[in-house]
This record gives sequence, C-alpha cells and structure tokens, in this order.
Amino acid sequence: MADQQQELARDLGFLEAYTIGLGTMIGAGIFVLPSIAADAAGPASMISFLIGGVVSLLAALSLSELATGMPKAGGSYYYVNRALGGFFGSIVGWGMWGGLMFASAFYMLGFGQYLTYFVPMGATGVAIAALVMAVLLVAVNYYGVKETGALQNVIVIALVGLIIVFIAFGVLNVDMSTLRPFNPEGWGAVAATAGTVYVSFIGFEVIATSAEEIKNPSRNLPLSMIAAVVTPTLLYVLVMFVSTGSLSIDLLAESSIPVADVAEEFLGSVGALAMVVGAVLATVSSANASILSAARVNFAMGRDNILTNWLNEVHNRFRTPYRAILATGVIILVLIASPVPIGTLAEVASFSYLVTYSLVHVSVMVMRRADPEDYDPAFQIPDVLYPVVPAVGFVASLAILAQMNTVVTLVGITIVGVGVVWYLGYARNQNIKEGLVGEAIAPEPTRATTNGGGEGYRVVVPLANPKTERDLLRFAAASAHAHEDGDAELVAVNVIEVPRQTSLEQDVAFEEERVSRQQELLDQARDIAAELDVGLRTRAIVSHDAGDAILDVVEDEDADHVVLGWRGSRTTREHVLGSTLDPVVDRSFCEASLINLASETELDRIGDVVALVGEGPNAPVTVKRAAEFVAIEDDATLTLLNIQTPDDDADASAEERGHDLVERVAADVSLDVDYDTEVVVGDDVEATALEAVDAYDTVCVGATREGAVSQTLFGSLPETLGERASGTVVMAQGASRSPQSIREAFIKRLSR
Amino acid sequence: MAHKPLLDCVFVPIASAEDARATARAVTPYLRDRDATVVVGHVIEKAGGAPDKASVEQRERLAEDLFDVVDDEFASENVSHECHVLYGTDVAETIIDAADDFDADAIVFTPRGGSRWLRLLTGDVSLSLVTQSDRPVVVLPDVEEADTDG
Repeated sequence: MADQQQELARDLGFLEAYTIGLGTMIGAGIFVLPSIAADAAGPASMISFLIGGVVSLLAALSLSELATGMPKAGGSYYYVNRALGGFFGSIVGWGMWGGLMFASAFYMLGFGQYLTYFVPMGATGVAIAALVMAVLLVAVNYYGVKETGALQNVIVIALVGLIIVFIAFGVLNVDMSTLRPFNPEGWGAVAATAGTVYVSFIGFEVIATSAEEIKNPSRNLPLSMIAAVVTPTLLYVLVMFVSTGSLSIDLLAESSIPVADVAEEFLGSVGALAMVVGAVLATVSSANASILSAARVNFAMGRDNILTNWLNEVHNRFRTPYRAILATGVIILVLIASPVPIGTLAEVASFSYLVTYSLVHVSVMVMRRADPEDYDPAFQIPDVLYPVVPAVGFVASLAILAQMNTVVTLVGITIVGVGVVWYLGYARNQNIKEGLVGEAIAPEPTRATTNGGGEGYRVVVPLANPKTERDLLRFAAASAHAHEDGDAELVAVNVIEVPRQTSLEQDVAFEEERVSRQQELLDQARDIAAELDVGLRTRAIVSHDAGDAILDVVEDEDADHVVLGWRGSRTTREHVLGSTLDPVVDRSFCEASLINLASETELDRIGDVVALVGEGPNAPVTVKRAAEFVAIEDDATLTLLNIQTPDDDADASAEERGHDLVERVAADVSLDVDYDTEVVVGDDVEATALEAVDAYDTVCVGATREGAVSQTLFGSLPETLGERASGTVVMAQGASRSPQSIREAFIKRLSR
Repeated sequence: MAHKPLLDCVFVPIASAEDARATARAVTPYLRDRDATVVVGHVIEKAGGAPDKASVEQRERLAEDLFDVVDDEFASENVSHECHVLYGTDVAETIIDAADDFDADAIVFTPRGGSRWLRLLTGDVSLSLVTQSDRPVVVLPDVEEADTDG
C-alpha cells in the first residue's frame, strides 16, 4: 500500500508530462500571434518561431539538470533562489508570477478574439468575454473542480490533430509567391519578433514545476521537456509557413483570428470552425495551467520566506491554494481590463521568462561549480554540450531581450524592479536560506580512508538507536571485510530530523541536547568500528527529512551498499516501514540490506546463517550477503534453503528442482565458502519457511520487490519472517532491478 | 459466541483541520482507553495526468498539520493511533482501499456539511463512502465544541 502511494505521488510518466507540457505550450500563442508576427517580420517570422524554439531547447536542457538535482515545486524560481540566493530568487519569483499573469491575460484576450467568429463584437466585447472566462477559470481552480488526466489528453490530442490537419492541407495550398519578399523588415525585426512570440514557449516550464510528481525523473523529465519544446516548435514554424504562404501579409496582419482565416482558404468554413474550436480549447487550457503554475511559484516563494505564507494557505474544504489563486486571478482581470494591447501582454510575458531563463543558465553553471553536497542531478547536460548550452542560452536570451521594444522593456524592468524592491524591503529580513546547512561533517577516519568518491567499497549505515548500533555495524563490517581488496570502509550516518516549519539552523540551536546525543552515538560508532577493525567515517546531518538526507549521503558517497535497521513492526506513522526506510530502499540505486534484529540485546555472534534461495531477482544478492556474514566468524555455518511446493506433474521431484536451483544460484555468485543445501517441501510456503528457519541465528531473504519493501508488510514472506522469526532477519536487495518481483513470483507460484 | 468486532480497528479519514478536530472529538468517546487500533488517513487527491490544483509538497505539509491536530486531540485522551498520508485520484476509493489494506473493521468519519452545489462540483466523498464501501461505515455526528480555537 505505502509503495503504491509513493507511485501515485509520482503519477506522471513520460506521456503525461509531455502532454502537460504540450497542453500549456500549444496555447494562444500559435492561434493569436501569426498576425502580429507576420505584421512585424513578414514570412521570415517563421524564423522567429524557430529562434524561440532553439532558445527554449537550451533552457529545457539547463532546467532538466536543475530539476533533477532539485525536484521541488516552484521550478526555475526554486533553482535560481537556491543557486544565486534570495536577491535573484525574488527577481525570478516575481518575474515568473508576473509573466504568468501577463500570459494568462494574453491567452484570455486571444480567447475573446476567437469568439468573434461566432459573435461579431468590438474590443470591449472581446475584453468582456475574456473577463468572464478568466473569472470562470479562477472559480474552477478556487473550488478545486475536478479535472482529469483523460480530459487533458483529449484536449491535447485534439489540438495537435487539428494543427497537423491544418498544416497538411495548408502546405499543399502554399503559394510561393505569397512568401516573397521573405524578409521585408530585416533580421533585427526577426529577432525582435522572436521576443514577441517567446510567450508561446513558456509552457514547458510547467514540467519542471511538476518535477516532484514525475516518475523516473532522470529520464522522463529531460525527455518530456525536450519533446514538449521540439514538437510545438515544428508545428509553429509550419503554421507560420502555411499562414504566410496562404494569405498576404496585409490580410494576415489585420485578422484577429488568423489561423481560422487561413484555414478558411483551403478547408472552407468547416476548417475555420475547427480552428476556432481549437483556439478556444488552447487558450483556456493554457490559462488554466498558468494560473495553477503561478500558485506553485507562490508556494515555493512562501517556503523560502520570500513571500508571506498567508498567501499559500490551503482551503479547508477545497484543498486549493485559494488565496494565491485569487490574487493571481484579480491581477489577470485587471490586465485584461486595462488598455494594454494583446501583443504587449504577450511580449511582457516573454520578457519575464527570458530574464528567468537567462538566470537559469547562470544557475546551472553556479551549481556545477559550487557542487553542494545534496546536489546530484540525475540528468546532466552532456559533457560535449557543457558549458556551451548554458553560455549560449544565456547570451541568446539577453540578445532577444535587447531587441524588444521600449514599452515592453520598461514594463519588464518594472517587474524586475518589483522583485528587487521586494527583496530589499521585505524578503531580505525574512529570507532564511534552506538547504542541508546543518551538516557538520566530522571526518575523523579511524583507519585508511579516501575522501570523496574513491574506488573503495563503501557501506553506508544509518544509525539511530544506540542499543542496536553495534549489531548493525557488525553486519556492515562483514560486508566491508568481504571487499578488503579495495579500501573498504563504513560511513555511519545519523540524521536529526526537524519539522519543516522551522529552519534548519534555528532548530539546531534549540536542540543542543539532540546534537550532543548525535555526537555520542557517532563517537560510539567509531569505537565499535575500531574493535571490529574496519575503517569508519561519520556524518552528522540535520535535515527536514531523514530519508532524503540518507539518500543524499548514499549518492554523495557513491555507496555500494546501505545497511538499515528495521523494526519489523508498524509503529511509525505515515509509512509502514517508517518514513525513512521507504524512500531509502525504494530509491537508492546501490545494494540495500534491512536488518531486523531479534532483540535489542546485543548479539555475540552472527552465528549460523540460512539464506532463502528462490527464483526471484534478489536471490544472488541474498546468498552473497549470507556468505559475507559467515566469512567473518570461525564457527559459523551457511545453509542455502529452498522451499518447494509439491507438484506431481513436474518431471523432476521437488527436491531435485530445489537442489538444482540452489546450485545454479551458488554458481551465479561463484560462492567460495562451504555450504549445506536444504530443500523443504510444503504447501504453505510461509509456514514451511518459518518452521525451517527456526533453527538458525540469522535468516537472509531477498526483498520482495524493487521499491516495494513497504508492500511486503502486507502479507509476504520477508514480512512474515521479519515479524515472526526468532532470529535476526536480513532482507537483501540487489543493486540492479528486475521487472518481476519476488512477490509477483510468489503470487504466481501460489496461484498455480 | 464472540461478536464480530466493529471498532477494534478503525480507519478514520480526515479532510481538513476543522474536520480533524471534529472527527477526533467524535470518535474519542468510543475508543478511549480501549485496545483499539486507530488508523488516521488523509488523502492527497491527484489529477492523474492533469496538473494538480496544488503542489503535492504543499498538501503533504497540510497533511502533517492535520496529523498534529489529531495527535494533540488524542494525546490527552489516551487513544493510540497512527497517521498515514494516502494518494489517489478518487478520494473515496482511496479511503476504501486503505481501510482494506489496514484490515480495518470499519471506516469512521464525521460528515462535512456543504450545499448540494458544492458537493456536485467537488465530489461528495461522504456519499461515495457510504455507497461504495465493502465494510461497515460508521458516520458519527459532529459534536460541536464551544471551545474550538479556530
């Protein structure tokens, strides 16, 4: 269950992330801007869209690295604030917020314009339609009216389909003479127009702001961002090609529903109507996503104390950030009602986002150079492209900014000014920088250690309980001793967990007692390590989340193996194994062992070890672990146990099958210690297993499933053993994951 | 013959701070000083592909706040309990599944008011719980306390 929950918390796969990006990207931009763009730069405005796409692609690469390194709500704002501090954080936060408001107002006016297809109305009518729709959208998000992924997909597929049909028929209709002169206004105008149309590209940011919800982010995040930039760029360029090739620049520039007017040329009124419907869907879904994104930026700013958290209160009943949504909504309404022309709204939004992305590029470089402990992005800009991508991206963003017209520049700089003033007047006094600042590394090696990510075999042992500390270290030491040829060492970690509401420094100051207890625990660990004759380093950490902190250490140390104590009971709230174990086991990529100690009294020895050998993917690592434990004690024995269910139809007897399997696994890991093989046959696997392992001091069993230790607690073998076996139970999980879980294998076997 | 238990292990969904307090007070008289397992859950509703209304992290913090309310209410009354954050696209379904996973005897909650309109828009979790659950659902009246502090 708990595992299932975690998967649901991250419920966006590549396709979902891609469609969310597309849904925001394919917005009002392409439906409204062709007339403005064609007016400004003629047919060459298709190059403007291409430039916008390339600049966005560079931003997408930089954002992907930052987002996988810091998967937090808030997107660009969060990364810039973290990398460059509160001053630039405030600029980007306000810039994004402002940009999203201007963009939403622009989308809504575009929506109003397309309604003129049905009802002829003047500028006032358009503004009123825009206001009504904006109010409706704010209400939808205020009341938390349920929207589903299915609806989102239908809209996106419909939009892409419409545009593809438009392009397919349009290309055949393009008159090359209409495309001449190709570049009547010169390249300066093309660059300036790239600034105007950039608003069509801000949508992919929404993927970064949802980084915390994306499954397998190291792969899906960059892929979906790149795809969500490339697809629309191609569509935009082709739409401009068709538009400027079908209608003369003059006609196009006059149209307030350009795409529909162009479609009318070769698809008749049906085509025009279809494009109007598409435009309505696109503008509404873009504005909707923008309002929600704005609320997330607000939340992220509140989390860093740059904004008051008053704004981020979640509604009691609707569970929406209603104040943030209202605040954003009110300003959108003001902007729609203001006499600012639709093109300028778009340009201001573009301006804000270009400022944001130029700082994002700087942030990537800063983060790489500073290389903080907890920053280890799963996706990195490939070496051949670094630092080219952020450098070119930064320069290109500034170059486009420099081309934009004076009014836009002034409004844009005003928004930046708001960020600066806000920082100086408010945020500076509030802003407490977050991060793993409480980290006080105590690098006191007791024996040969290499600092940093050396080649040695490294076992990370999170410690919490002084009573079980020695036993955990004993098991970890066994694993380290088996890899003596490299410089094996243990890394003992203790995390002081503080509530999120308090800042890390604050809490540490008040918690002298916990800090001194932490020191005691780690001092003791050093003594034990000396006794066990194994190298040990300690790391004392203060964090909001022990699981995250341990994961960071595991990654930072490039650990080969993590050994965790496990209570085997359901006492902790939130997660079944405890909020710390779940993420560590689920998300760490190295081998993991969960050790459920039989009692809090210290063991004298690891003793006789039995390893349960099944067909699951973790069988080899289970045997390896067991062999390691046996190797450090003189009189310990190793037994490989296989449990078979009776099966009369099979060719070989159950015993033979069991022996074969055990031999195969033993050969697999090239087991070089003596062992006995035991095969037990029984109908009830669990009961049989429990009975068979009773005679042993330590039981090794493979974890049931990748990322699913918690699931095991609901009735699978390792859980039952963990709760009921009399000896110590070690649940082993390998580093490489396999698609079929032991649990699934068991279910399959049992259902036969 | 022993009775089939109804309140030995209960699953208690909570939706908001107000709801957490009201629910905790409503169930306390039935569970106080008994050897009952009380599993408190808060569902974070996911849009399943569409953008969520609020950031997950934001709502996880909310959940922590709600659990603190429950902890406070129960601490003085000697009700042992555990709290879990749940995620699902359908709140009622998620609650029912969770009750099943925790092997609860019953789902216990206090209904939240609200007009028909709001229920229509935001989904009527109470109704879905009552109609869809495969185990007993105990609806407790909201015992209004005069000293609610917000």
